[in-house]
Order: sequence, then structure tokens, then C-alpha cells
Amino acid sequence: MPEPRRAEVSGAGGSAAGQHAAESGLDLKPSGRVHVPSSLEDGLPTGASVGNAFVDDPVFSCRDVSVFYGDKEAVRSVTLDIGQRQVLAAIGPSGCGKSTFLRCLNRMNDTIPGARVTGTITLDGQDVYDRRRDVAQLRARIGMVFQRPNPFPKSIYENVAYGPRIHKLTRSRADLDELVCTSLQRAGLWSEVKDRLNTLATGLSGGQQQRLCIARSLAVQPEVILMDEPCSALDPIATAHIEDLIDELRASLAIVIVTHSMQQAARVSERTAYFHMGRLIEIGDTDDVFTNPQHRLTEDYITGRFG
Amino acid sequence: MLEGHTARSFDGALSSLHVHVIEMGGLVLDQVREATRAYTDWDTQCAERVIAREPAINAYEARLDDAQLTLIARRQPVASDLKAIIAMSRAVAELERAGDEAKKIARTVLRLGGRPGPATSRDARHLGQLAVDLLRLSLEAFDVLDAALAAEVIARDHDLDAEYGAGLRRLLTRAMEDPRHFDVALDAAFVLKSLERIGDHARNLARHLLSIRTAGPHPAQSKRMI
Repeated sequence: MPEPRRAEVSGAGGSAAGQHAAESGLDLKPSGRVHVPSSLEDGLPTGASVGNAFVDDPVFSCRDVSVFYGDKEAVRSVTLDIGQRQVLAAIGPSGCGKSTFLRCLNRMNDTIPGARVTGTITLDGQDVYDRRRDVAQLRARIGMVFQRPNPFPKSIYENVAYGPRIHKLTRSRADLDELVCTSLQRAGLWSEVKDRLNTLATGLSGGQQQRLCIARSLAVQPEVILMDEPCSALDPIATAHIEDLIDELRASLAIVIVTHSMQQAARVSERTAYFHMGRLIEIGDTDDVFTNPQHRLTEDYITGRFG
Repeated sequence: MLEGHTARSFDGALSSLHVHVIEMGGLVLDQVREATRAYTDWDTQCAERVIAREPAINAYEARLDDAQLTLIARRQPVASDLKAIIAMSRAVAELERAGDEAKKIARTVLRLGGRPGPATSRDARHLGQLAVDLLRLSLEAFDVLDAALAAEVIARDHDLDAEYGAGLRRLLTRAMEDPRHFDVALDAAFVLKSLERIGDHARNLARHLLSIRTAGPHPAQSKRMI
């Protein structure tokens, strides 16, 4: 702003604003409207987070979930629900444990040597970590989309048809064609690829490849899709397509999205979870988290006051 | 409250906005003081100065509106930052309206409607002093983001309202005693009303400040607790 001519002022003129703003920022008076869990006050390690971690109709229920890589505790006592047909955004600085937590949900951490998950995670009331559980079956119910689009080096058709085929979801070629078509339609890609279904998927643009990966997850009719920074390798237009797609998909399934873009979390999610140093600090309705964050750390993070 | 962003230029932009709102407030405060003096002392030169300075207030408003829009567009503020910017935008509108009231008072003098008698002058001077004090106090509160001071402004506006009611009754009594100067009394009533409105704007300013100060997370949940 151009410096306006300083008015001749008496009384409250001039300004102490600049020099006092810093001080007054520190003397926040208690508003008394927020419950402070005593465990946070005395600094004991605990899973207590502020906000409302629970929903009435959870698809996932996580209780006291901790993840260790060897001796290192990457996620500490996270308790939260993920609701049916709901978009939950997980935000937080790098290394805060949000991706690690996401990977617990479909047991992606199983493959990492030294990784250990404690606590309970249930999907529709059934224990995800039950030893008798077929992990492949589990992952069929939980789609996953990664930061970098990772289509198979096969045709567009084969990419989408692969899952239904190995899980034997269709009985005839016509059924499979139909499923490929509807999956591509739901992923908003059909009109762009319908004339080139047999060309290599790797020839698509980055945004199209990402939507193809979403179509591929949709083809096995999952209840939940996990998205790990699905837009960070995409341009704004492709990002807008994906966000629009998330809006469409929330009508039929739950989505958990890990994102570094707070604006994206604010745009696409109904609930937001803020992670910090492996702990779930705050979780609540996105409308509330981005207007009235209850925890100082959440406020500092979303308003760009880091460290 | 407004500082501590990792991108320090955001701190700078917010605090510059804050400083300019206070500057605008200083100008408005001076306008109110001068307009009241122009009326009670029947000083046309003083009234002319008030009218001449009015465009400067409007220019402040336009510039601050621009700055706020730019800040929202470029920084996408959320939570306490967003509330602070919205509150400052509202504060600017209050100040602009308070400036308008001062202009109305100055116009009464320039129209040469009728010079108030000593009793009316005294009432106007008293009410003007209360309005100036209230506005100054609310600006001081806004300057240092002091919630307690803002609460005091809100409480003190009731005194000004009561004084306005009493002043108006005295004015009516005098007008009934001597109906020949009813036009003067009518002008005086409008002046008293303007001063009362300036007090309301000061109170609203304090309310906007409280909306910033009550925003944000609970202070007890600070970093050291993790």
C-alpha cells in the first residue's frame, strides 16, 4: 500500500500499533471456551487431542493407534473415526506422521521392515490387523492413490480391468467392459479416453494418469479411498479436476486425503485432522478448524506461523 | 496477534494495514473535535477546514479497502488472520461514518442556520467531549489490541446515550419556552444526534476489536505443552 500522507493527529494519533502488536500477541487472555485436556497441560505423552474425534457412523474407527519404525515412534496414540461418505483431510508439517497414519489404514506399513502398529483399527467393525485377515481382500475394499500417478505400463483398458479381473468381480467380457466404462466415467475420464482405450496409459497426461489411478481403484468398488498428496505433482487445472472428482465421489464412499496444501484441505474436506510430531493435535469440522482452531499449534500452522 | 508469520512480509502487510487504520482514526478524531468546536464557537473557518479534509478520509477508506482486498487475494488468510482483516475492514467503515457525522456538524455552521445559545453550546460541547473521549479510547484500544479497554468503551457509550437524552430534553424545554428560535433548536438536535452517533461508531469499533481478540486458540495450549 502506498504510504498515505500522515495526517496531523492529536489524541490517538501516530501509532503504537506496530510496536505493541508483538507484545499483545503474547498476552492473549483466556477466553474460557475451550476445554484443555489436562494431559496436554502437564505435557504427558498421550493421545488426547482437541476437537471431536468421533462420528456416529464410522467406516474406520482408530483407537490409540501408534506406529513404530524400530524404536522411533512415528505416530503416537491416535484416536479418531472416519465417517461413511465423508472426506477427511490430514494436514501437518512433513514428518508429522500423517502419511504413516494413512498407510496404517490399509496395512501398507506391513511391508516396511521394523514397522510395528499398536492399538486397534476397525473397518466396518472388523479388525484390520486381525492375523487371519486376507490383506489382498482388505486392500480391495480400500483404494489408494499416490502422489505420483502410477499406472501399469499397459493399456488404459487393462489398467482399469486388472483389479476386477484378479478379484473376479465380473462374469463376462461385456460385464467387464461395462465396469471399465463406469469406472472411467466416475473418475471423469471417459470422454477423454473412450476412443483410445487400447493405447498405453503412460501416454496420458499427469492429471489424466492420476484420474486413471482413481478409476482403477473405483473398479474394485472400494468403501474408502486413501489419497496421499494426490495433487502435488499436478498443475492447477488437473488439481481442480481431482478436487471436483472428490466432491462427486463423496456421495458414494469415504475419502481420506493427506495434503500439504491447507487450501486444498479447506476446499475438499468435511473434517480436518491436524498432526504434529506424530500426534493428532486437533480434529473437527473443516469449517471450524479453519475459522476457529482450538489449539495453538493448529492456528499457527494454518495461518503460516511455523516454528 | 497480527505477527509471527513465517513469511514476514505478511506480518508487514498486516501491521501496515493496522497502522493505517489507526492513522485514519486519528484524522477522524481530529475532524470530530474540530467540527464540535466549529459549532460551539460558531467558527466558520474551522468548519471549512473540516469540510476540506473530508475527502482525505474517503481516500483513506478507498486505499484501505484496496489493501484489504489485495491481502485476502494474495495471502488467503484463515482463522485469526481472516478475522483481523474483516474486523479492520469494518473498523474503516465505522470511522468513515463517524467522519461523515463530523462533516454534517460542520455543514450546519456553514449553512448559517442559526447560532446556538450559550446553554445549547454548553450541551453540545459536553456531548462532543464525551464523543471525542470515547472515540480516542476506542482507537487506543484498537492500536494496542486491548480487549479490556474495548469493553470499557462499550460500557461508556451508555453514559453518552444518557447524556444525549438529557441534552435533547433540555433543548426541547428551551425551544418550547422560546419558539421563535425553533429552527436553531432543530439544527442543535441534529448536531446532538450526530455526536451521539459518533459515540455509537466508537462503540462498534470496540466491538470489532473484541471480535479479533476473542478469536484464536486458547492461550494455555501453547507449544511448550507438546
